[in-house]
Amino acid sequence: MPKENSASTGVTMGWLSSLKLTLVLFFALAASSVIGTLLPQGVSAPELRGHFSPAVVSLIDLLGLNNLYHSIWFRVLLLLLCLNMVACTVERLPKTVRLMRRPEDPFDSRKLSKFGCSASIAAPLSQEQAQSIVETAVGESFGPLRRIGPPDHYCAISEKGRWSRLMVYGVHVSVLIVLVGALVGSYVGFKGTMNLAVGESSDIVLLAGEREVEELPFTVRCDKFDISFYDTGAPKMFKADLAIIDKGVEVLKEPVVVNGPLTYQGITFYQASYGTTLKGAAIELTDESGTTIAMDLPYRESVTIPGTRERLTITEYEPDLMRFGQALEIKSEKEGQRPSIQWILVDRPFHGNRIENYQVRVVRAERVRYTGLEVKKDPGVWLVWAGFTFMTLAIGLTFYSSHRKLWVCIEPDEKGKKSVVSFAGRMSRNAQAFEEKFESLRTRLQKELIQ
Amino acid sequence: MTSSFLLSLTTFAYLLCTVLYLSGTVFRFKPLLTAGTVSGLAALLVQTAGVGLRWVESYRMGYGHAPLSNMYESLVFASWAIMLIYLVFEWRTKQRALGVFPALFSFLAMAYASFSKDVDSKIQPLVPALKSNWLIAHVMTCFLGYAAFAVSFGLSVLYVVKKRSTGNPKPQGALAAFLPSVPQLEWFNYQMVLFGFLWLSVGIITGSIWANSAWGTYWSWDPKETWSLITWLIYAALLHARNMQGWKGERVAWLSMIGFGCVLFTYFGVNFLLSGLHSYAR
Repeated sequence: MPKENSASTGVTMGWLSSLKLTLVLFFALAASSVIGTLLPQGVSAPELRGHFSPAVVSLIDLLGLNNLYHSIWFRVLLLLLCLNMVACTVERLPKTVRLMRRPEDPFDSRKLSKFGCSASIAAPLSQEQAQSIVETAVGESFGPLRRIGPPDHYCAISEKGRWSRLMVYGVHVSVLIVLVGALVGSYVGFKGTMNLAVGESSDIVLLAGEREVEELPFTVRCDKFDISFYDTGAPKMFKADLAIIDKGVEVLKEPVVVNGPLTYQGITFYQASYGTTLKGAAIELTDESGTTIAMDLPYRESVTIPGTRERLTITEYEPDLMRFGQALEIKSEKEGQRPSIQWILVDRPFHGNRIENYQVRVVRAERVRYTGLEVKKDPGVWLVWAGFTFMTLAIGLTFYSSHRKLWVCIEPDEKGKKSVVSFAGRMSRNAQAFEEKFESLRTRLQKELIQ
Repeated sequence: MTSSFLLSLTTFAYLLCTVLYLSGTVFRFKPLLTAGTVSGLAALLVQTAGVGLRWVESYRMGYGHAPLSNMYESLVFASWAIMLIYLVFEWRTKQRALGVFPALFSFLAMAYASFSKDVDSKIQPLVPALKSNWLIAHVMTCFLGYAAFAVSFGLSVLYVVKKRSTGNPKPQGALAAFLPSVPQLEWFNYQMVLFGFLWLSVGIITGSIWANSAWGTYWSWDPKETWSLITWLIYAALLHARNMQGWKGERVAWLSMIGFGCVLFTYFGVNFLLSGLHSYAR
């Protein structure tokens, strides 16, 4: 049993760490992303029915193509890509490390002559003389030589950038770090909106997509909102002056502009939109006897009608209700009765402006600007930034650093009168540039060793 | 002297440069290729002056931003980057016969920017979302990547041409005569993809850092973002495929061409087609 088990693990591992799987995943992710950009995302199935046939809609619904990037199968593809990277690293990294750490094998001229890039020069010099010339020339063009092996004849290696073989693993680790950061953000953080009228404060964030709220551990107040325009009429700047009140103490006052958010206790506020909302309204009520009562109603605060037990609240404000202009939704409450709700038009005082037994006239509706803030907490963002930085460095070093190695040995020839200098080299990338460098070393040594 | 005069001059200089490279390659006449290089360099210098002057002009108008803010300016920058990358490549490799496609792309980008009705060449003020230092970093890095992929596309086409004409017993292909050898072309192409991939990665990263400070999210699956990721995936596939037996060679060249198709779609397709698709979704 265990044998079979390890064999199947081996097969799974082989499949997971294969380059073929990598390519399949790249193309699958690319193809599904194409679908995601062609099909409108975040549109519900009923809305889709207006554009596609029922069969297509049910297919879209089944595969979750209208919310593709968050569908199970897209996540499975991403997970497989991660597993693929992990498996490749687990399988290949130990080999690379072993190769890097392996003590140098002893070598001689015969072994060096088998390299693709090799040369041999017979110099009419003693070994010591040849050695000093070789060490100077190689030291200047390739880097210092390190002697290895038995001391009977001269064997040395000049090596540079051994670490560059590890950089490709760095790229893959950095991608994993970014994805882990994204995962952390989506599970631990939140994202939502907060509309804050000038002068108002709040600690409630409406979460995106859900009918849920997040209560902040502090309060935000908007002191001022500014918009400026260019001569062309295009917007120049949106600026909201925010204040943070923590445990009753104003701890921070800072303007927030587009591209200039404010962060407090890991929660960031972005200037995203703006609009106009109601501050309050002055109304006149006329009852059946013709008596008129004047009232001031602050937005969303309930006020008792003087001389009665009835309370009125402006519950909603529409800047343009069905093209009839501004409208207020007013709720009337009386003990022992069901509350009644009516829309009252501000700009068109028509006979339908009634609530219970009163004819309503809006004398004045006072409006105020509000700032639409995007509120976000993302503890994973630092991992993402770290991953990005690491990725940039690792990609650059993978592409533009190389492992270069030069082997040199000096042996006496058969008669013992000459010293034969053999050398060979190898580079992990850019073989052409290396050959040129190697050739110029050969020419230089030829000249200096033979004279 | 205005920037628009210098930039129109550039357009015609790139046309001349394309004609010189093409005729030099077709007629196998080396001096024409040298003239191509000279005209390309001259056009690049005039264009650099034009872009610099446009920058100065935007300050004079009171807007004061780098000329990288709209489609016109990005097309001009794309054309500039393609020629710059190609000329550095030509100088490093000492190959003259590969300039047809880069010169053609530089010309087409300039011509489209200047003559299309969809592209407004006026200097416009920056909307609040674009007011950020990330604008320069993001646009420059992305377009360096795109430009390298444009050059790589040209190299891939020439690679396929050369490879097929090498297999041909009767080499009637005049075009292939001046071209470097097949392995050399493959190597150059690979180098260009590496360069492009590095800059595309940095471009996506800077874009996502910017998005995080402007919109509060570093990745929102916006069509532009998604298409840049698709492009990245295709070139990542190319880099991995090149290590696989049997993929080195023509298949890599085709992948590079597909990758450049994705670049074009990221740029033009998303701007013109997908915005339309999305406006109905809204």
